[in-house]
Amino acid sequence: MNFFLEGIYQTVGEHLPMWLMMLIAAVTGIAVVLGMVSLIAMFSVWLERKVSGHIQCRYGPMYVGWHGWLQSIADGVKLLLKEDMIPRDADRVLFMLAPGLVLAAILGAFAAYPLSPGIWFGDIDLGVFMIIAFSSMTTIGVVMAGWASNSKWTIYGSMREAAQVVAYEIPLGISLLVPVMVAGTFNLREASALQADWFGMKWFLFTNPFMLPAFVLFFIAALAETKRAPFDLPEAESELVAGFMTEYSGIRWSFFFMEEYAAMFLMSALGAVFFLGGFESPLTHFAGEFFGKELVVVGASGAKELNFAAIPYHLVAAVTLIAKCFFGVFLMMWLRWTLPRVRIDQVMTMGYKYLTPLSLLCVLGAALWEAGKHALFGS
Amino acid sequence: MDFQAIHDRLRAVAAPGLVGADLPRKPDPKVKKDKGRAGDPFVIVEAQRLVEFLEVCRDDDRLKFEQLVDLSATDPAKDDAQLWINVQLLSLKFRHRLAIKCLLPKAAPSMPSTVPVYRASQWHERECAEMFGITFVGHPDPRNILLPDDWVGSPLRKDYEFPKEYHGISCE
Amino acid sequence: MTRETQSTPAASTRVQRLGAGELSVDIRTPDLEVNFGPQHPATHGVMRILMRADGELVTGAQPHLGYLHRCAEKIGENVEWLQYLPYTDRYDYLASMNNNLGYSLAVEALLGVEIPRRATLIRIICAELNRIGSHLVAFGTYGLDIGAFTPFLYTFREREWMMALFEKICGARLTYSYIRIGGLFNDAPPGWFEEVSRFCDVFEQKWQEYVDLLLVNQIYVKRTANIGIISREMALDFGLTGPMVRGSGIDWDLRRDMPYMCYDEIWRAGAFKIPVARGEMGALGDCWDRSWVRVMEMIESIKIVRWCLDNMVEGPVIADIPKTLKVPLGEAYVGIENPRGELGHYVVSDGGKVSIRTRVRGPSFCNLAVLEDILPGSLVGDAIAIIGSTDIVVGETDR
Repeated sequence: MNFFLEGIYQTVGEHLPMWLMMLIAAVTGIAVVLGMVSLIAMFSVWLERKVSGHIQCRYGPMYVGWHGWLQSIADGVKLLLKEDMIPRDADRVLFMLAPGLVLAAILGAFAAYPLSPGIWFGDIDLGVFMIIAFSSMTTIGVVMAGWASNSKWTIYGSMREAAQVVAYEIPLGISLLVPVMVAGTFNLREASALQADWFGMKWFLFTNPFMLPAFVLFFIAALAETKRAPFDLPEAESELVAGFMTEYSGIRWSFFFMEEYAAMFLMSALGAVFFLGGFESPLTHFAGEFFGKELVVVGASGAKELNFAAIPYHLVAAVTLIAKCFFGVFLMMWLRWTLPRVRIDQVMTMGYKYLTPLSLLCVLGAALWEAGKHALFGS
Repeated sequence: MDFQAIHDRLRAVAAPGLVGADLPRKPDPKVKKDKGRAGDPFVIVEAQRLVEFLEVCRDDDRLKFEQLVDLSATDPAKDDAQLWINVQLLSLKFRHRLAIKCLLPKAAPSMPSTVPVYRASQWHERECAEMFGITFVGHPDPRNILLPDDWVGSPLRKDYEFPKEYHGISCE
Repeated sequence: MTRETQSTPAASTRVQRLGAGELSVDIRTPDLEVNFGPQHPATHGVMRILMRADGELVTGAQPHLGYLHRCAEKIGENVEWLQYLPYTDRYDYLASMNNNLGYSLAVEALLGVEIPRRATLIRIICAELNRIGSHLVAFGTYGLDIGAFTPFLYTFREREWMMALFEKICGARLTYSYIRIGGLFNDAPPGWFEEVSRFCDVFEQKWQEYVDLLLVNQIYVKRTANIGIISREMALDFGLTGPMVRGSGIDWDLRRDMPYMCYDEIWRAGAFKIPVARGEMGALGDCWDRSWVRVMEMIESIKIVRWCLDNMVEGPVIADIPKTLKVPLGEAYVGIENPRGELGHYVVSDGGKVSIRTRVRGPSFCNLAVLEDILPGSLVGDAIAIIGSTDIVVGETDR
């Protein structure tokens, strides 16, 4: 927001009242978020189909565009043109609200996602907390969807979702505590900036032996949070047809899917920022050295102005983070097409009996390690 | 054991309801128009005593028919006044089979259910009941199995008339 | 503190007034009655199971059949002997060769014809290849039920090759009508045996993939071990046959124990073994054991095919059967080892052109009966695993 506000102030100038500038900045931010999420969803759909195809010894979409890259657009058009069906006995209000709520929650979580070290929607000091909180809100939408569909199978799906998400919130949060503790901040941008040493390779993953188990636990919990296989019981295709989404078709169904891919992206973003360096990589480091990092500098006239020379650095940083996020997304997809599904009681057992104690142990171990480092090396 | 040995054993233990046996034979030249009989030998058992007979088959040490492979019925001809019940038994221990035939009057076919002896016959009897109109007395779950619950008639009987319509759908 | 009594207590909660300030609520919700099918991805066909479930725990299950009933037995009494053959393809459509074989053997038992040796060997090759194909579907779709999407495509990749082989020999991919009364429809085209041999070589490597990727996958084991345990007594009492019974540790296979065609020769030559489950990953008789049996049987079928290829002879492929066949008076029952169990054909002839009874003893029909007993007590996810492990084909269940 800062950047947008500054940018607007610089370009359009002092002619506009503050409230109008803030409004324009907000609307621009929302448009960027929507655009981002749509692009992420479209790209993820294509990626999923190609990844699943190649894992299954087939090509995936090949006709629509080069290697099927236009398939997502074709799918989007098809979904928009589908008949909008609401079951006669369904609870209309909840039925229509559910996908909206689910998408709104995840879009809200995107506000904490930093686009680049200098461009963000809002420098949220509780970034991690906000993302986890908003993505938990999607559960309400899922339960609403299952209940409103008025079908016993969808209720199964939504009950499983509720149980699963509640169970895995705990290891998700606790395993994230490990890097948050090391970083000392919930803010994604600041945490990323702390990993800039060693030519952009001082990732938190390498600084503490308890980071690796924490990362693994975080990843498993993230899989369960986003309802991806092997924890895709709420939408277990072969058991519940499509779980809570059974009665949804057309654009309403695509909302659920956008939410799923956006959530996958966000969870990967959390993992990328807190374990894998965020914006930092050797490429970003050298780009920063070469181009300069500050976007808003004090110009010759003494007023703040945009430093266009620094834009390539921000581009490289943004692409680095997006690449890391999509690597996480790819990993989730890979697991989906490789592993069978875990049964609901086994999911709960894993969450409560194994992941939670292990993540607590990781936190304890990481804390002791950091304290020991302080004591021995005083750093 | 071959069929002769099984039949001898059945007679030796005085299996209840055993009436006789029918073996395949070549056409008898002395009898005109005798076509002989091809295929498998079988024993003939009284339908009302089939349950006790099967118990002997299952429990006897030299017979040991652990499995009931098939229980079905046959309507031999339109003008024949009898229905046949065919039972196929299998012994895993001795690797032999036994074919049993019972005769039921077509007018009111009813016999005790063999479910207490072999659980396998539960579904087979349901199918016989709906397809031939046979009543198995004491069957734990005498519902239609393959046909809808409100089907009229016994389809596999030779005198079965196909319905003209079902629930308003024409069957022509 | 007093409370007003509820005038009409809700059906599912009962509020008892115990005393001043005390309250006891008995919350017991009625069981959920869920319809599993007839349209459902996991019922392997059109079958309906009425399940009563207390949340995720299944408390009762009642299979309802008949959705795919096509009156095969009645048709058998209305068409001529040779004309009935295409109908036999269609009960267990995943193992059509075996169905043709069962019917042909039953009628040949009445006819008393001798089948040429070449025909017998090719019949065995086709039956065993079809057994592999059927087990590939069973295993692949079972993985799909459990949630593993990819092994399904791997098994179908091999199955495509098998179906291409069958297309070369008889022109059809699924319902072959190839094994006829008296022998075969036609001889194998040149080069067919070499291609079958190549298929055997490649299949052995791919088979190892299935084992490594799915069969011993920990999640798969956790989903299928100790689930749906069928005890030995239950297996015998319910008349189960095939992998259902071998999965419970009973060493019984019709190909070895009551051999037909020249399986006794192949057995004596030591060409194949009968895999019988040993309860490796849990209790004996669980779902994992049954799927293990099916996977192991695929390799044994390859060995049988190899033996037949090595011992192939030249000669005619069909005995002399008139176009309008009149089968001698009599009745015969022949049971063969279908991929799903014992497929029995009981045919009764009055000496005429048309059978007076063609009874089909479908193994899936008999195997399905255990569901009423083993489903209660499992979770809904387990129910799907158990139904998949019975490997039913509804065409055979309903005929």
